[in-house]
Amino acid sequence: MAAHVLTVKELRKVFDTDQGQVLAVDGISFELSGDEFFTMLGPSGCGKTTTLRMVAGLETMTAGSIFFDGEDFSGFSSFQRNIGMVFQSYALFPHMTVFENIAYGLRVRGMAAAEVGGKVGRILGLLGLGDLAKRYPADLSGGQQQRVSIGRALVYDPGMLLLDEPLANLDAKLRVEMREEIRRIQKELGIMTIYVTHDQEEAMSISDRVAVFNLGRLMQAGPPHEVYSNPTSLFVADFIGKANFFPARITRSDNSGAKVALTSGAELALERLNALEPDEEAEIADGFDATVMVRPEHLVIGRAGGDGLSCRVRRIQFLGNIIRYHAECADASGEVIVDTTRLVGGLEEGSEAAIAMAPADSILYHKGRA
Amino acid sequence: MTTAAPAGPAVARLRRRIDWLPYAIGALTIFVLVAFLLYPIVKTVMFSFVKSGDELAFANLTLVNFRRFVEASTYQNALWHSIEVGVLTTIVSTMLALPAAYAMARVPIRFRNFVLALFIIPIIAPPFIGAYSWIILLGRTGIITHYLDSWFGIQLPSVYGLFGIVLALSLHYFPYIFLFVQGALAASDPYIEESADVMGASRLRILRTITFPLVLPTIFAGALIVLVKTLGNFGVPAILGGGYYVLPTLIYYQINGYFNLNGASAIALVNVLITLIAILLLARVNRKRRFVTVTSTARRSKQHTGLGARIAANVYIWTLLLAALLPQIIIVLSSFAKQWAASLFPTAYGFDNYVRLQETLGEPIFNSLVLGGSATLMCVVFGTLAAYAAVRKRFKGKWALDMTIMLPFVLPGIVTGVAYLTTFNSGLIVLTGTGTIIILAYFIRRIAYIFRSVTASVTQVDEKIEEASTICGATWGRTMRKVTVPLIAPGIMAGGILVFSTLITEISVTIIIYSVEWKTLSIAIFEQLTNEDILGAATIGTVAIALTLILVFTASKLIGRNMADMFR
Repeated sequence: MAAHVLTVKELRKVFDTDQGQVLAVDGISFELSGDEFFTMLGPSGCGKTTTLRMVAGLETMTAGSIFFDGEDFSGFSSFQRNIGMVFQSYALFPHMTVFENIAYGLRVRGMAAAEVGGKVGRILGLLGLGDLAKRYPADLSGGQQQRVSIGRALVYDPGMLLLDEPLANLDAKLRVEMREEIRRIQKELGIMTIYVTHDQEEAMSISDRVAVFNLGRLMQAGPPHEVYSNPTSLFVADFIGKANFFPARITRSDNSGAKVALTSGAELALERLNALEPDEEAEIADGFDATVMVRPEHLVIGRAGGDGLSCRVRRIQFLGNIIRYHAECADASGEVIVDTTRLVGGLEEGSEAAIAMAPADSILYHKGRA
Repeated sequence: MTTAAPAGPAVARLRRRIDWLPYAIGALTIFVLVAFLLYPIVKTVMFSFVKSGDELAFANLTLVNFRRFVEASTYQNALWHSIEVGVLTTIVSTMLALPAAYAMARVPIRFRNFVLALFIIPIIAPPFIGAYSWIILLGRTGIITHYLDSWFGIQLPSVYGLFGIVLALSLHYFPYIFLFVQGALAASDPYIEESADVMGASRLRILRTITFPLVLPTIFAGALIVLVKTLGNFGVPAILGGGYYVLPTLIYYQINGYFNLNGASAIALVNVLITLIAILLLARVNRKRRFVTVTSTARRSKQHTGLGARIAANVYIWTLLLAALLPQIIIVLSSFAKQWAASLFPTAYGFDNYVRLQETLGEPIFNSLVLGGSATLMCVVFGTLAAYAAVRKRFKGKWALDMTIMLPFVLPGIVTGVAYLTTFNSGLIVLTGTGTIIILAYFIRRIAYIFRSVTASVTQVDEKIEEASTICGATWGRTMRKVTVPLIAPGIMAGGILVFSTLITEISVTIIIYSVEWKTLSIAIFEQLTNEDILGAATIGTVAIALTLILVFTASKLIGRNMADMFR
């Protein structure tokens, strides 16, 4: 049987509020297939949850289209879309037992009692909830409630699974456990999954593909490592992981790279170039303003007088597996962060130091021709 | 990528169905509200501008029905009396209720829940028979009149007229303010008063600068209900008025004496107008006071535990209760009296009255239960649906739904009666003399109770729970049946029992539209009183009170709530 395909095109949502119209989702497009685990990541109010709710049919679309396996979803109410959904608040039916909660979707579909019992039993086993079948939600811990809500969403073999910040109400340790569990079950059942979160670590660790949202737009979508190591915009660079930014002016450019001058006049040669306005004619030009982005682990900090930009160490943080240097640097916009795996000899808080970057790990963001 | 088989064949199973139920139910609700609420009101307003006997037509519009408010002193006096009674009753009720509410909330009282439950009896007891008790107590040969005169030489003003009406109504309605304010005081955040305490404020200063201002909105809310109910009350001025007319009694005599529907409509309109003006005035006074303090801690506010405070609190509460329950006590006492004439107390007791009325009692009990029950059912269905829509749905003109439902709440019962009589006496739907018209009028008059109660319940149910049901594949109807309704059932039950218990003794609207086949308990009492069979009236009254109490008690046990909480 062919794998499922979900196609979302130019999705828009405008909310009418007392203060006027609010554009919540602004032309979102993406396509999913098979058992892909797709995570929508972004700060609150970026439109990720609204997008999810439109896929679920809980929110009407202002414009755009959603197709599932070639069927136009707009013709189906949410109760007809055969999807499973897990809510942040779990939204369990408080007046039903664990068994009844999970059996609900099957009974709605008119399944015979014997078959319901079998299916619910299997899901309870899969989620390790076997002993809790007769309990009510109020008697369960947060983690158990979350499992029940996942079970309720999966038991009727939905075409896709939607999760809206499912782990936000759990404590840190349980969150890590549960996300691994969700990933395990998802791959075991081979179900297409859309996951919404504002927690980037969660998104990076769990997903096949991460979509970063901002202000109602999809900024970038791709496998976690790609989004991290090759962000296509300053927003994504800043939002995902830590980033250092150095304002620069392009002094000489051609197809293979560019030379830039930093604030202090230091010159760098860079190979990785990214246009900030991809829609525009993004030709690079001499004399234009640009920004150099380097991840903390790609900067090298050493004693003053060595290679690189001069700076002063402000603070040294020991974070266990890494050591983080915070430095003040005239060339950077804001503080510079450098991560190393071992202490650099001779550097203390307050020391003068030098930081160096390799062209292969630095990305230049430039504006197109005006 | 995976070894497991792909999840279900979604497309093959997707079915396109129109979920028509919510639309059908929405349309029905709108139809019911328009046909049985807006239509009668509009028609009454139109009636009041047409001369009696004339057709309803544009050419016949006239102000003749209102002319008597300018010309006739009876009309002017009735208008003035209504205002006078309304204002005085509201003030007296508030003065009676506030100390009791504070004492109840802030001083340890024994059997607290039981005492609270006692305070609802004045509300559910039929007011007009209670009013009659005041004649027995304070009339020229009354019990209290006698003792006051022979022991202290004090002579009270006549119980007929302003004094008696305000007294009876105040003791009848003050529990509304009492229950509201008591609840607010008990639930207020103890930290606010404690911080004033820490800053060095005295008890009295805290009361004056913190406690009182914080419950002021609640006091206004309670006072508003008392004012609205007083302006619409028919039973008490009907018994204690004598020649002292208020607007509702004037309406009654217009209809009962002359069957002048147009004139009655005009008075009704004036009655509604002064009610609306009163509401607007109170809302204006109360406009800037919007603060709710609800404690999140389980800790109670500081209690006055001194002996003096406890004695004062208990004495006040029990005296007030005794005064408020005195009419009911007299009713029960009378119902067991064999003979009670020309003596201060009955000379002999027995079950004679009950035996005597055995045959006559059955029908009114049956009628009250059937009419009240059917109306309650309608209120539950449509009130719940309307409340659900008001909370959950985003639509334009939501305020109109709110207004429509709350409107009958401010309409004096007798006005609703007039509206129904004028509307369904002729024209599109003719219902005069049927049980249906009573059910519909009851329904319209009480739907707001359910609406308010259910609105609060629905607000407390996370919308995501309903969405989860929808996502699981349930239609709107199934989600309502299996998820929403079970979760809001306590709110529906509480509202329903409030409706039912207040309908059993409903008189204001019933008196206008009842017919011989559909005499209710309240009409039976009224008839006994008109026939001067006081003992008989008291007997039926006792049955009505007992019936209502049993209902409220059973329901409160069923839904596990304190009886008094259901009236707040």
